[in-house]
Amino acid sequence: MIESNQQVRSGVEPGEPSIRIAGLTHRFGNDVTALADVSIDAAPGEFLTLLGPSGCGKTTLLRIIGGFENPTEGRVLLSGRDVTGLPAHRRSVNTVFQRPMLFPNLDVFGNVAFGLRLQRLSREEVRTRVGEALALVRLEGYESRLSNELSGGQMQRVALARAIVMRPEVLLLDEPLSALDMRIRLEMEYELRRLHRELGATFIYVTHDQREALALSDRVAVLNEGHVEQIGTPGDVYDRPASVFTARFVGDANVIPVEVVGRSGTGVRAHCAGADVDVDDDSVESGSAWLVVKAEAVQVTASDDSAGADAMTGMVKDVAFRGTGFSYLLTVDGLEQGVRAEVGAGAQAPLAIGQEVVVGWSSQAARLLPREEGEALVVPVVGSEQDLTTKEETSDEQ
Amino acid sequence: MLVTIAALAFLFLPLAVVVLFSFHSSAGLTFPFEGFSLQWYEEVLGSEEFRSAARNSLVVATATSVVTLLLGTLTAYGLTRTSSRWRVPLTLLFFLPVTLPGIFVGLALLVYFSELTITLSLLTVLVAHCLFVFPFFLLIAHAALSRTDPALEEAAADLGAGRWAVFRRVTLPQVWPVLLGASALAFALSFDEFIITFFVVGPDSTLPLYIWSGLRRNTDPSINTVSTMLLIATTVPCLIAYVLTLRPRSRGSASDLKTELEASAA
Repeated sequence: MIESNQQVRSGVEPGEPSIRIAGLTHRFGNDVTALADVSIDAAPGEFLTLLGPSGCGKTTLLRIIGGFENPTEGRVLLSGRDVTGLPAHRRSVNTVFQRPMLFPNLDVFGNVAFGLRLQRLSREEVRTRVGEALALVRLEGYESRLSNELSGGQMQRVALARAIVMRPEVLLLDEPLSALDMRIRLEMEYELRRLHRELGATFIYVTHDQREALALSDRVAVLNEGHVEQIGTPGDVYDRPASVFTARFVGDANVIPVEVVGRSGTGVRAHCAGADVDVDDDSVESGSAWLVVKAEAVQVTASDDSAGADAMTGMVKDVAFRGTGFSYLLTVDGLEQGVRAEVGAGAQAPLAIGQEVVVGWSSQAARLLPREEGEALVVPVVGSEQDLTTKEETSDEQ
Repeated sequence: MLVTIAALAFLFLPLAVVVLFSFHSSAGLTFPFEGFSLQWYEEVLGSEEFRSAARNSLVVATATSVVTLLLGTLTAYGLTRTSSRWRVPLTLLFFLPVTLPGIFVGLALLVYFSELTITLSLLTVLVAHCLFVFPFFLLIAHAALSRTDPALEEAAADLGAGRWAVFRRVTLPQVWPVLLGASALAFALSFDEFIITFFVVGPDSTLPLYIWSGLRRNTDPSINTVSTMLLIATTVPCLIAYVLTLRPRSRGSASDLKTELEASAA
């Protein structure tokens, strides 16, 4: 397999992106804009994830790359070759879909051999390559099984084998793990990473699950309402979000409106919920800003008289045990929205609902994003992650 | 239970009487039944008139089922896969002839053929039968083809299959039993078609016409004999159709299609 990938790659000019998406706009009908001027490059052998909530256009983008949908505007280039408008069966990309979509009349061997037989390869070569592909997904010995004799995870492995046996330049994966149980999903994540390393092909992976995106990818493109919010390494999008959307969707962070009042050391001083806090980030030097702080960076302690007048105070509104620790939902005096805090299990005694608390974070843990004067958060803060997950699962089925 | 037996008796007793008297040892058509004999079968099978009518029916029914299979499958595939905004009106238009009265179709075709000065022959019968049988076939084929998962066809295209390869390797394996079953039904419908045939047949004869003319001439059990053979020739394809749609490979759609088939057959 490794040798063959070098063959595939040999056609690629040095420095040429494996896949280039240039100015892609897609409309359904006249008024629904699924994608708005999206441009993304993926380097050969890169694992790039398109991450976003339901309806952000990520699946549409993948379908355009696969050739199942023709874009309204823009181009798709594979290794420098313009493939826009080329039908799916004439593109050197292969797709693993959300559901396995195995051919019911064929056994495992027949499914994996499907694409090879269309290329009229010799019987011998088909058998060898199917064997290799099944070995790669660890399904040796399953050749004569029918799809109704396989578990969900095994079916998705067959779908993977069926795609990689074609030795595609680019492998497209459309939420391939979302229909699987949690335990199998984690196992398959390792399998996917191993496969990516062994194949060396470019992987374009679509998911709404930020945990999956961060765990698997070389780079993550965060999509929101048809446009790219940010492209970067998992570390970039998680720790250094470029927008409020990314901060909330990927980093799952608290985003709090503040007023920057002046410089302080290497950063600035900001007015936040009736208190003054130092932020080790001078990207906004004055006026309105968003303060971004992750739930696990929020420190929450039971209030006693030692708290200075300058401290942020609040109350525990809800608490949930997470195994590794506790999730708190806090109300903070002077702040309309709640603040979430994740505290490690051994760190302190659990706080009870109704407990008065002091809230804070270190100046290094907070970051600033620009904010229009008077701009406020539209989306409810609490439970947003869960809401997005369930919505995604029901609506993406279509 | 009693009602069921009564209903079944009502349905099948007349048939049983016809079949029974086809084996009668004398020329009588009424009870008492005097004994079994195959003499009427011998007589009928020896008749050149019968043999030619049977041959004609067989040829026309076979040709009808083949033509319908090809045209109907293509039409149903097109109707279920097109994204044209005419899809729904077109589909309705194709289904509509199911409701047309046979006499109307027969008369219309006769006028049509004579306007175009086409000589009536078995060919005009074939055309008429295809026309008559087509919507029945289409109903079944359309149901089967619209139940296949389009995502499966996308998966095949993704692996390099063009339109034809997708159809042959993915779509057809899922629906062929149903299509063959519908084709067998087309055979049966054509084989015993009388009204339309009566209008457009010309000098030839088919089995139903032969029985009808025989009935006017004489009343001996040979008519029962021919009717019995017609009964077998039409029920056997229907049974084949039933079995084929009863156990296709993808079980999910099977039972629905079976009921569909039964509904159209009735």
